[in-house]
Amino acid sequence: MSVLEKPAAPAAAAPPQPPKRWKRHEVIAGYGFLTPWLIGFFGLTAVPMLASLYLSFTRYNLFGAPEWIGLDNYLLLFEDPQFRQAAKVTLMYAVIGTPLKLAAALAIAMLLNSKRRGQGFYRSVFYAPSLIGASVSIAIVWRALFIDDGIVDRIGSGVGLDWGGWIGNPSLVMPMFVLLTTWQFGAPMVIFLAGLKQVPNELYEAAAVDGAGRWRKFVSITLPMLSPVIFFNLLLEAIHSFQIFSSAFIISNGTGAPAGSSLFYTLYLYLRGFQDFRMGYASAMAWVLVLVVGALTFVMFKTSNAWVHYGGDER
Amino acid sequence: MKLTQKLSILITAGAVLATTVACGGGNDAGGDGATGTITFTWWGGDDRAVKYKEAIALFEAANPDIKVKTSFTDFPNYWTARSTEAAGRALPDVMQMDLSYLREYAENDHLADLSGLSDIDTSGFDEGQLNAGKVDEKLLGLSAGTNTFALFVNPAVVEKAGVEPLAEDYTWEDWNAWILDVQKAGAEQKGQPITATADYRGTLWIFIQWLVQKGVDPYTADGKIAFTQDHIKEFLALGDGPNQAKAFSSANRITQLKPKSPFLVSEQASELNWDNFTATYVTDMDTEIQLLPPPSGADGTKGMFWKPSMLLSVANNSERKVAAAKLTDFLLTDPEVGKIFGNSRGVPSNTAQREAVVSEEGSPDALTTAYEEAMTEHVTAETPVPIKGFGTLEATWLRLAEDLSYGKISNDEFVEQWWAEAEMATL
Repeated sequence: MSVLEKPAAPAAAAPPQPPKRWKRHEVIAGYGFLTPWLIGFFGLTAVPMLASLYLSFTRYNLFGAPEWIGLDNYLLLFEDPQFRQAAKVTLMYAVIGTPLKLAAALAIAMLLNSKRRGQGFYRSVFYAPSLIGASVSIAIVWRALFIDDGIVDRIGSGVGLDWGGWIGNPSLVMPMFVLLTTWQFGAPMVIFLAGLKQVPNELYEAAAVDGAGRWRKFVSITLPMLSPVIFFNLLLEAIHSFQIFSSAFIISNGTGAPAGSSLFYTLYLYLRGFQDFRMGYASAMAWVLVLVVGALTFVMFKTSNAWVHYGGDER
Repeated sequence: MKLTQKLSILITAGAVLATTVACGGGNDAGGDGATGTITFTWWGGDDRAVKYKEAIALFEAANPDIKVKTSFTDFPNYWTARSTEAAGRALPDVMQMDLSYLREYAENDHLADLSGLSDIDTSGFDEGQLNAGKVDEKLLGLSAGTNTFALFVNPAVVEKAGVEPLAEDYTWEDWNAWILDVQKAGAEQKGQPITATADYRGTLWIFIQWLVQKGVDPYTADGKIAFTQDHIKEFLALGDGPNQAKAFSSANRITQLKPKSPFLVSEQASELNWDNFTATYVTDMDTEIQLLPPPSGADGTKGMFWKPSMLLSVANNSERKVAAAKLTDFLLTDPEVGKIFGNSRGVPSNTAQREAVVSEEGSPDALTTAYEEAMTEHVTAETPVPIKGFGTLEATWLRLAEDLSYGKISNDEFVEQWWAEAEMATL
């Protein structure tokens, strides 16, 4: 299911008062222009979501009519060893991958923020992996890199790490996916870059006068000033990481192999729905994912008061 | 329920994944359904597509009133597309059908009873193949060709390993011993150890073959599982020896080589598979291949059976059943079509097509034909027609077997987990 794509914008100004009552034809024209969006929203998002909520309480194999079974699908989830495996793999991926990706994005954003020649070129080059990163072709390239006798294996053997290919080794599959996501740091990097531009230079100058070193400046100025952006990126990337599908599908040939080590949540959901034709069960899984991601977002917003610093706050 | 079914298409398309829902085309009106445009779809590679194209050109020349719109995809995606179409009652007029899915589609009347369509001539098919396509006395799929298990052996690799080739009357124990021998020989192919076979326990059909050989009927007459958990345990235990000695091709290597296999890259001496793989192996490997029968049981019997390699079915939602029946009949009984396909859809089930296959000596077609002729004496069992949900059971079996090879689960856990899935899938 499409999970909360856009969290609330950090600082929304109070809406301006409408100047006067809208004229009738203006209202009609307004909704007229909205129609394509409304059709998309109801036809492709709202109605299917409600239907899937209904289906999650049924047994439905696509061939016959859905049959109401109450909460059975949800109860079965907790006895399903594969569900536990999928949840574990996905959580691990989110917990390890997201911070690494953000750290990489921030580090590179800071490097690119310093003024030097060819700045625009470097920015484009470093952003490029994210443009293609989620695509099928990169997943195929990734597979070729990490296979037996692929480049990674050869470099590894060269420095005495005789691990063989990573693709078939259950304990190396997760690091491989984490590397893939970390490498796609472009989108958060651009946002970090924009955030860094907003930090007033006077603050650094004042700190320099007080004798602060680079690390001190980073901890006391950059991080707090950047905290809304960090929060925004964290939220977005965490949600994204729960939705990993295509790369896992391609790299494991759509099976979650080896031994379930790449059985990410959405991949398992897909297999249940389209390989086993258990649409009710798959719908229940989708709703559990929505609830978990929703809860996670809620918790993040609640804790954000403690560490996110908005400019203009009296602190 | 029409509404909910429509809604569920929306979900499957829009929300779970952006899957393309193929439109059930062919809505131009046309009298008694004997003319107009019909749709036909199959799974398979480019090679099959070329052959179907040729066959359909012949059909359209013979039936100028009928146009055939075709599409094809690979096996897993094929079933995703068909199931969404089934939900919307928009299945293509004619489609390739697999025995594993026949009962699923038989439910709720998705498939037309072919014996009720007078344009289909079933006289050239033998009883066993017709029965394999029947569910509840209705002929829902017509067999295109037959398969049976064969042990493909790569003599070059056997020689490289320096072990004695298997004798034709080898038993499961002989095979296990041979597997260990190949490992002990310690030969290598491009730095990879040469093995005798992949873990043969990973294929549900091989288990079924083993059951049939023991004289156990896998399914009851009303489509339930007739074997027990102890049967599975016994079968799994059969491979414990080679598995503990790590004599099977490693799961790691198999995962890495996909979509190829260790046998295809000459790292493996043998592979137990359906005999219509001959063409693939011979073409891809460019080496001589021998076909042996599967291992015998303790009493020396092989207990083999003919399985339809694929069937053709007509959708019940088709508005042009007469035209669809004509196409089905043409593709499965016309000798010219038989010539085009050779044995690539299995050895043709239809006598006229089987006789039309001309094969050069040493060609894959000749190998398969010779093999099936030689095996006739060993084919002593009825085709066990899979039960509903078999596709899922097969996939689950494969997945658990992989966990087993990686040492993630024990034999007992395999049985327990598979049984739980089986109970759910066959509800």
